[in-house]
Amino acid sequence: MTVLDALQATLADEHAAVYTYGVLGARTSQAATPATYDALTTAYRRHRARRDQLRLMVVDAGGTPVAAEVAYALPGPVRRPAQVVQAALDLEATSAEVLLALVARSSGDVREWALTEAVWSATWQVTQGAEPVTWPGAPELG
Amino acid sequence: MPGRPLTRRTAVGTALVTPVLLAGCDIDPPARDGAAPATAPPPEDSALVASVVAALVLSRSVIEAATLSAPDLTPRLEPLATAHAAHLDVLLGAVPDAATTPSAPPVVTAPAALAAVRRAEQRLLREVRRGCVDAASGDLARVLASIVASTAQHAAALADGARA
Repeated sequence: MTVLDALQATLADEHAAVYTYGVLGARTSQAATPATYDALTTAYRRHRARRDQLRLMVVDAGGTPVAAEVAYALPGPVRRPAQVVQAALDLEATSAEVLLALVARSSGDVREWALTEAVWSATWQVTQGAEPVTWPGAPELG
Repeated sequence: MPGRPLTRRTAVGTALVTPVLLAGCDIDPPARDGAAPATAPPPEDSALVASVVAALVLSRSVIEAATLSAPDLTPRLEPLATAHAAHLDVLLGAVPDAATTPSAPPVVTAPAALAAVRRAEQRLLREVRRGCVDAASGDLARVLASIVASTAQHAAALADGARA
């Protein structure tokens, strides 16, 4: 797998993340759970920025950015606030795995960017109540 | 993106000191196609790993000094100590001769001990991050990136605990 392949795979994952956060945000009440709403909004914006940055990186690497699917399957039921938060936590855990794969296949600025974003995803999980883990993004090492 | 399981947690160290094992793709990151064998890591990665190990050992000694000075901190710091022990376990195989007995500065109060831990963790973050970016081996970079992410998570948890 080349750096371009890894960038495209990460971009495809970010398309799904942006879609999923859109759904999660729509199912979150700003009035009833303002902290969750703000956290989801922050995460949505972060992933949208990631997606845009990845598009540029793919072009810089000589590729055509992979397009988003029309829709994505949600990870499970997301009707209650706790389910919404858990879906977001799972999404960020997956994002960290994908970004660490990009770290492995890239170098220089791309690797540093992927590292920064993986750390953001890992840290965001803790700010939303998840426990720290020993190997974020690489659970098989544990 | 599903991850392909690593076969051994100590594979990083083994691979760095025994490059030929890398041909077996023992520590390939997830989704690598497996067609091309990983290249042997260049010697400079060994020095890089030694620096990261030294930083990890220093952080561990600061945590130990903190819990000795302020036993009440043990429940808060134990998860961090456990994580760093696992991180060291993976990396020490690469540099078996790395120094493992640094001296930690003495601390006298719980707030001072916690502040010392936070400073040590920030130093560790900088060191491991630099190692990740500079690593010639992509597989090693991935391991170091996970250590950075874990350390950042624990730092966030400690900060959150301080606000609670």
